[in-house]
Amino acid sequence: MSDTTHNKDERPLEHYVSREPFDPYSVEKLTPEQERYYMASQWTMMWWKFRRHRIAVISGIILALMYFSAIISEVIAPYGLTARDTKHIYAPPQGIHMFHEGEFVGPFVYGYKTKLNLKTFKREYTANPRKVQPLRFFCSNEKNGTYEFWGLFESSFHLVCPAKRGTFFLFGTDRLGRDMFSRIVYGTRISLTVGLIGITVSFILGILIGGFAGYYGGWFDTLAQRLIEIIRSFPELPLWMALSAALPVTWSPVLIYFGITIILGLLDWTGLARAVRGKFLALREEDFATAAELMGAKPGRIIGRHLLPSFMSHLIASATLSIPSMILGETALSFLGLGLRPPITSWGVLLNEAQNINVVALYPWLMLPVAPVILIVLAFNFFGDGLRDAADPYK
Amino acid sequence: MKSGPLKTGLLTGALALLLAGITPAKAVDLVETPYFAKMIKKGKVPTVDKRVPAEPFIVKFEGDREIGKHGGSIRTLIGRAKDVRYLVVWGYARLMGYNADFTLEADILKSYTVEEGRKFTFVLRKGHKWSNGDAFTSEDFRYWWEDVANNRDLAPSGPPRIMLVDGKPPMVEIIDEVTVRYTWDAPNPFFLPRIAGASPLFLYRPSKYLKKFHGKYGNAEELAKMAKAEGQRNWASLHNRKDNLYKFDNPDQPTLQPWVNITRPPATRFTGRRNPFYHRIDAKGRQLPYIDKIVMNQSDGKLIPAKAGAGEVDLQARNLAFKDITFLKESEERSGYRTGLWRTAKGAHLALYPNLNVDDPEWRKLTRNAKFRQALSLSIDRTLINESLYFGLALEHNNTVLPQSSLFTDEYGRINTEYNIKKANRLLDELGLTKRDDDDLRLLPDGRPMNIIVETAGEDTEQTDVLELVHDGWAEVGIKLYTKPSQREVFRNRIFSGETLISIWFGFENGMPTADMSPAELAPTSQQSYQWPKWGQYYETNGQSGEAPDIPAAQELAKLNDAWLKATETGERAAIWHKMLRIHAKEMFTIGIVSGVLQPVVISHKLQNLPEEGVYNWDPGAMFGIYRPDTFWFKK
Amino acid sequence: MLTYTVHRVLIMIPTLLAISVLVFIIIQLPPGDYLSNLIEELKRQGETAALEKALFLRELYGLDRPMVEQYAAWVGIWPGNTGFDGLLQGNLGHSFEYDLPVSEIVGDRLLLSFIVSFATIVFTWVVSFPIGVYSATHQYSVGDYSVSFLGFLGLATPNFLLALVLLYFANVTFGTSIGGLMDPEYLEQGWSIAKFVSVLEHLWIPVLVIGTSGTAGMIRRLRANLLDELQKQYVVTGRAKGLHPFKVLIKYPLRMALNPFIADIGNLLPQVISGAAIVSVVLSLPTTGPMLISALQSQDLYLAGSFLMFLSMLTVIGMFLSDLALAVLDPRIRLGEGTSR
Repeated sequence: MSDTTHNKDERPLEHYVSREPFDPYSVEKLTPEQERYYMASQWTMMWWKFRRHRIAVISGIILALMYFSAIISEVIAPYGLTARDTKHIYAPPQGIHMFHEGEFVGPFVYGYKTKLNLKTFKREYTANPRKVQPLRFFCSNEKNGTYEFWGLFESSFHLVCPAKRGTFFLFGTDRLGRDMFSRIVYGTRISLTVGLIGITVSFILGILIGGFAGYYGGWFDTLAQRLIEIIRSFPELPLWMALSAALPVTWSPVLIYFGITIILGLLDWTGLARAVRGKFLALREEDFATAAELMGAKPGRIIGRHLLPSFMSHLIASATLSIPSMILGETALSFLGLGLRPPITSWGVLLNEAQNINVVALYPWLMLPVAPVILIVLAFNFFGDGLRDAADPYK
Repeated sequence: MKSGPLKTGLLTGALALLLAGITPAKAVDLVETPYFAKMIKKGKVPTVDKRVPAEPFIVKFEGDREIGKHGGSIRTLIGRAKDVRYLVVWGYARLMGYNADFTLEADILKSYTVEEGRKFTFVLRKGHKWSNGDAFTSEDFRYWWEDVANNRDLAPSGPPRIMLVDGKPPMVEIIDEVTVRYTWDAPNPFFLPRIAGASPLFLYRPSKYLKKFHGKYGNAEELAKMAKAEGQRNWASLHNRKDNLYKFDNPDQPTLQPWVNITRPPATRFTGRRNPFYHRIDAKGRQLPYIDKIVMNQSDGKLIPAKAGAGEVDLQARNLAFKDITFLKESEERSGYRTGLWRTAKGAHLALYPNLNVDDPEWRKLTRNAKFRQALSLSIDRTLINESLYFGLALEHNNTVLPQSSLFTDEYGRINTEYNIKKANRLLDELGLTKRDDDDLRLLPDGRPMNIIVETAGEDTEQTDVLELVHDGWAEVGIKLYTKPSQREVFRNRIFSGETLISIWFGFENGMPTADMSPAELAPTSQQSYQWPKWGQYYETNGQSGEAPDIPAAQELAKLNDAWLKATETGERAAIWHKMLRIHAKEMFTIGIVSGVLQPVVISHKLQNLPEEGVYNWDPGAMFGIYRPDTFWFKK
Repeated sequence: MLTYTVHRVLIMIPTLLAISVLVFIIIQLPPGDYLSNLIEELKRQGETAALEKALFLRELYGLDRPMVEQYAAWVGIWPGNTGFDGLLQGNLGHSFEYDLPVSEIVGDRLLLSFIVSFATIVFTWVVSFPIGVYSATHQYSVGDYSVSFLGFLGLATPNFLLALVLLYFANVTFGTSIGGLMDPEYLEQGWSIAKFVSVLEHLWIPVLVIGTSGTAGMIRRLRANLLDELQKQYVVTGRAKGLHPFKVLIKYPLRMALNPFIADIGNLLPQVISGAAIVSVVLSLPTTGPMLISALQSQDLYLAGSFLMFLSMLTVIGMFLSDLALAVLDPRIRLGEGTSR
């Protein structure tokens, strides 16, 4: 015997026979977890895979919260959209404190001590430690008046209100004394929905054109490809600018808003169309598509019932990744003065008002709208990433 | 001879008088300008005694202003390349110009006389030369009048309108080398103010230079070749291209301004270099300007306050607004300048213009009613606007003349400007607008809610801000204000056609008039008056289009304006002015919001001879013109 | 290879043609045009001399002709008032606002536009390459996460806002003059060391601002592609056979990963150009961006149109070059399978 076969237990191998009844399918039997896995539907599997991507989940929650806040903006914002406090123009942000001189008071802010310095032409604000203004929650802000909630009913219910004769400017105020935090909250409505409408336009165009091109091929395909290439070769921003400059000035702000979203959508569908076309080209050769065709299904049915669902998830993922570029696009256009304009409030409009040296040097809190922009774009990106990973659960 | 000494004395005296008459007034010894030292050595530029006219303008300094030294460059910023014309505005070399008290005095001209307001005799300075050394004589005036203004090719529609009185051109006499006379049958009160304007009427051209490009004087073939080489169709368009005394974009064209533009466009940096043949000197014999160069850098308008604060300019006012004052003040120390706050001189910084010619019949009834306009004015909280946006430093006055003008009275300035909601409500009730809807908005007689859309040209957030503050006051009397930003062309066209109900714009162009300045702005004479565009158009087109004024007050204003044109005495003119101002005060055709807003002016610490507190206005004023930038100098 | 090139070139032509139609339509969309507005203005002011000139210009350039004729004249396939004189003949048109031929105005700015765009692309490559590689090879490490996060941040921030802040910061901290690509004194002077240094001092802001979002995208692509490659069989084999890990990385996977770099120029170029446009407005750079915006707003037909054409041509050519480079790099494309962007 050689050393290599020298075992620790020098027992001869035993012949092992199991006493259990014989089940020919035991090898193939699945554990409950495995069973769940194999029996799960496509969507369930996608959900599981998505869930593993932690950051995507968190992003999804953030997005949901922000869209929800767009619905209840009036409740979240302590001040109304047009509320003005001309005694507190260009007031810096008020920090929330919990302890006053060692004692616990609950969330409160220090009031302002204001002085108008006519030598430096500056409004000087200092926190006045004697003015303790506790915040109220689930309250109604009398100074603000009432608002109409989506035109349904009047209310003056707010999540947070300033103290009765105090102020609560979490992000400071602007040149007319308007609360920046409230304005940002209201801006959410416009900025977030621009992306949604634009993406719908883009979606429809992309699926229609890409779908027909991929499915029918031929001259339509070549035409569509050329069209896509042309639009892609165009430098985005100048095209946006040119189109925005073309919007008639006499249109109402709402119409301009829709015009902008449609413009953004019109220029974005190319990516989607390409993806759809590519997928269609591949999928229409698949067996299940041939089978359906042989069974007499009309092209519409084949596209709608068989081809589309198999990569809808991809589409959704791509679409999600396009929304941030639309939001940035609207921000950029409004920033240049070509998109939305006051009195509509969007983050882009707010940033436009912050684009001057006075703000950068003296009132930097007016640049805070950049924070939700970054947050939303990041959230959409991560969310889209997660969706894309999850979109093909069988990979 | 018995009266020997007496005769000698008389003779000497007579001789002395004679000599004094023909000896040039150059009682000062001229000092050479260091900047030209090298060029003089090379023979490119003659010495100062050959450059300054035989009878130069000798500047006298009073008060804080003092004699300065040669040297230095002023750096400034312009928002658009075509603003290089500001060298002509600031240079402010005019036949006669306004001084700091807004009185006219001869500048390029040695003297001028006016008879009966219709006969103008101008005397030039002997030995005055263009910036390239060509002689400046009455030939240059003749050239303009006969060969430019009345030349079919160069000016198909004839001489400029201002040269016509009752449609008739003047009789132009070239009396001698230095004397020119213009005679009309009736007074022409616009003549001198236009010549002294910021963008002036030029009665002369550099004839020697331009004759090269004129069909009458040049060789036809050569002209055609030159035209083609420059991409022009014919000699006329070539001549037009070369002849731009105001636009200042042809560095080859000679000028009389203190600084000559030596940069050929397109460029982002323009340099104005001193004019070697400038006609003004100081009492110590230094030829002006003191400053060698003005360097204009073009930059995006939004960045100019930042650059000014960073110390990149020596003198800047344009593109700076009151809202930048905090930042400018804060950067003073680190960038070495001071921020002057000069008064702007518009009748109002911002004013509302209810359109008396608006299409909508219901609204038209209201805008034509003085009580309605007064009610709107009484519901504006001017103090709030002043304190919020202007640190309380503006004047809460009507759109009328400013306190600095001799025509100002407290009544004109302040009538109906107080914030009085009760009175406003009462006036509106008296008009019969007593019905209100559920939101407490007043209703028009036909049931529509009183929603007023105020249109802006969309160029300035300041206007939208002010309107936001006005909105609250109007809400108190049951009127809802909507702001509609537009774009300048569209904005104007809508007003002209009667679609706009109320617009917001600047107030009267000249808020510091003297009785001898035209009151045309107060009468319906121009379509550009946004409160009565169609009446103005009627006047401008001599009744061809628009509508005739049909409110007695407006008709009265038109009559008074005509009377002013015929008046010959200052006293007469002042009385007419007061009558017109009183009508405006009572009727409140335009609703001024605030006036006298301060303009920040960044001035380098080293730059001298600027007033502590000046007036910043386009016409009259020429921005810095009336303070004579040619006398500014750098103290090390 | 040759057929591929010829094929691509042939496709470029109708693309450019179609773009020119699009551009023309867009410019004409807003009512009125510069000259009409100017004529109205001049009529009001009674400036007869300038008015004559404006009317003459309007006639010369056929602005009262039907749209189709104007378009054809602009492109140069139909004689205008001065014969065949359009884009195809090299005549970019006449700018009414500046009263100069477009080529004279654009010339200055082209060079600077190139410099900025080129510098940005170089910056993007130089920064994203090592970071992407590091990120892929040290997956899930702290470095990976932080770098990815920074990349995302760059992607999400509206860069133009950053521009103004950086401008102010550079001025206060380093004394750099605000805006522009160099200190104003050097504008007229010829090139010198001092001028070069001044340009560098100013250049980093627009490059940083424009480049950040492109960099982020590039890093992600590189990382994803490299990760894909690193899991492939041949890499495992190589490592198993004892190849030095560095060599394993360099020799094959990296070559594959270079694919998106080259392919992305096609994507990057339009992005850089349009990003550059908006940033140069904020920073007041003498490049094509600010001029384009003001031309669009004042409806200076030829200036805006020629600019847009120029930008699109840059993009089309850039994409063509990148396709070409990709074809050289990747034989699959050459042989007809098309790119997999």
